[in-house]
Amino acid sequence: MSILTLRSEPVERIDLLNITPLALSKLSEAEAGKLPVGTSRRGLTLGDVFAIKLDGSDSLVFEGGSARLDRVGAALSEGSIRVEGDVGQRLGDGMAGGSLTVTGSAGPFAGTGATGGTITIEGDAGDNAGGAVYAAKAGLDGATLIVRGSAGDGLGDRMRRGIIFVEKAGARAGQRMIAGTIVAGSVGDEPGYGMRRGTIVAGSHGTLLPTFAETGTPDLVFLRLLARSLAHLGAGHAELLKGTMRRYSGDLATIGKGELFTPAG
Amino acid sequence: MAAWINGNAADTDAAVDAAATLLATARTPVFAGLSAELAAIRAAYRLADRIGASLDPAAGDGLYAELATIAAGGALTTTAPETLGRADTVLVIGNRPWAGDLVAEVAGSKPVRGRAAGEERSVLSLGGPANGASRHVAYGIGNASLDVAIGHLRAFVRGNLAAEEAFGELAKRLAAAKFGVVIYDAGEIGEAGTEMLLGLLKDLAETTRFFALPLADPFQGRAVTQLSAWTTGQAPRVGFGRHMPEHDPWRFDSARQVAAGEADAALWLASLPSPRPSWLGSLPAIAIVGEGSADARPETAEIVITVGVPGASAGGSVWNERRGVIGYVEATGHAVADTAAGVIAGITKNIEKKGASC
Repeated sequence: MSILTLRSEPVERIDLLNITPLALSKLSEAEAGKLPVGTSRRGLTLGDVFAIKLDGSDSLVFEGGSARLDRVGAALSEGSIRVEGDVGQRLGDGMAGGSLTVTGSAGPFAGTGATGGTITIEGDAGDNAGGAVYAAKAGLDGATLIVRGSAGDGLGDRMRRGIIFVEKAGARAGQRMIAGTIVAGSVGDEPGYGMRRGTIVAGSHGTLLPTFAETGTPDLVFLRLLARSLAHLGAGHAELLKGTMRRYSGDLATIGKGELFTPAG
Repeated sequence: MAAWINGNAADTDAAVDAAATLLATARTPVFAGLSAELAAIRAAYRLADRIGASLDPAAGDGLYAELATIAAGGALTTTAPETLGRADTVLVIGNRPWAGDLVAEVAGSKPVRGRAAGEERSVLSLGGPANGASRHVAYGIGNASLDVAIGHLRAFVRGNLAAEEAFGELAKRLAAAKFGVVIYDAGEIGEAGTEMLLGLLKDLAETTRFFALPLADPFQGRAVTQLSAWTTGQAPRVGFGRHMPEHDPWRFDSARQVAAGEADAALWLASLPSPRPSWLGSLPAIAIVGEGSADARPETAEIVITVGVPGASAGGSVWNERRGVIGYVEATGHAVADTAAGVIAGITKNIEKKGASC
């Protein structure tokens, strides 16, 4: 297990794109220490920010985190990364595979563009978790994103594939969704604004949009299969799916092939 | 011309020298405002490139509500002259369009060319004032936000909702247009609302002609966008910390940078009127402001330098909303000696002389 120990709170934002177990496995500790990670003219390197201990394995641990650590696990394709603390924006940006775990909280755009692997945030996620960044065609794009705490507004904005599993989400969860699945203990106001396809399952919700139409309480095999597939993710509210669910179809402002399920009771 | 350093009157050369010292020693300087003539904005981008600063225009949030939507899906747009010349149906969204004189002009004229030439023009409003001075038919939105109302209307236009209610009638009016235009402010309806609106126009364009006429912000945001595009290849919020222009609307949001303690110096450029950032007094800052403006006073920032105001005490190229282009405006009064561009160029030269390790 390779270890990067944060020396102190960074004085500027740090960009950890390409700092993955695979990339570090080919380098000596001295070579890794020279990798540029700073974002100002001071030219900070990995060695300036972290004490480095490498063993060539496919497992990397960040001992200590900060909200200024951006793009942690971006481009991860195999192996695992664990951060003991917080991270900044774009956690797992474009990640293709492997396992990424944050014990603290994450900044905005966690999981954006991630096509594979599993991202777990033990604390809270900022706005637009699983959402698209500026000019991107899609947010989460096939990966699994688990948020044990709360997520901010715009969860899964423009997501195209994959699953988001969250305890509590803010307003406009599933906004502009292209496809994919969001399962939440609760979501805030106006879930699914502009969604085209995709599924939102919520234990409770805020104000619904006038462009979502109730379509009854169908007994769908799909929901039971979804519950089974989510069981291994270890979240209690997958149990929601075993009860009677009321279905809403939307957003009728678009092609309206999305759906929101919420308990009928 | 006036300048102040730490509240004390100073000559401009001394203020420029102090500004150069402040910026040369900063780790993460931010340039905000950029409400100025094009030459000054260009000088600001050059200085930012020299010292590794980031830039964020005052129009930032509204500008990105529009830019993000266009970048993701494109837009069908038109101009004010085409609207006046051809439109038989004009939908005005929200309150901001009523603040200018365009809506009154639209309401008081008829199309003179194209398929609707000579016909009466229908002016419709969604979520705007019910009793405006101009002739129009107003559709209220109750407690709904503008973006939700636009989505609701779109569902009727697409035929996914049908009922004898106001939005049903409005949808029929829009679909019957020969040449329709929607006037709106992207900053007022937000990014999601803008995307929904542009989607609505694409739906209408399946059977007729319908175009967007987004209003420009009043803080030179469109001029900044053009200059940033031809200078850096990117939209305005760029940073030069890594010796290349990096675009990131979240990272280079100046208010966020200051609140997070990431910025250690600021330059606020506002030779044209612009709201002063609430955070300006919270870090070492330079304010380059228009002569005679409310912010031309020693308390505005650590270093304050007054400069000529384009179109008043200086000439300069600024955004012309009516024509949708950048155009030159002459000084209408006595031209002052110092321009914002000259002051920023002076700061750059001073930093080069100091040999800052940038």
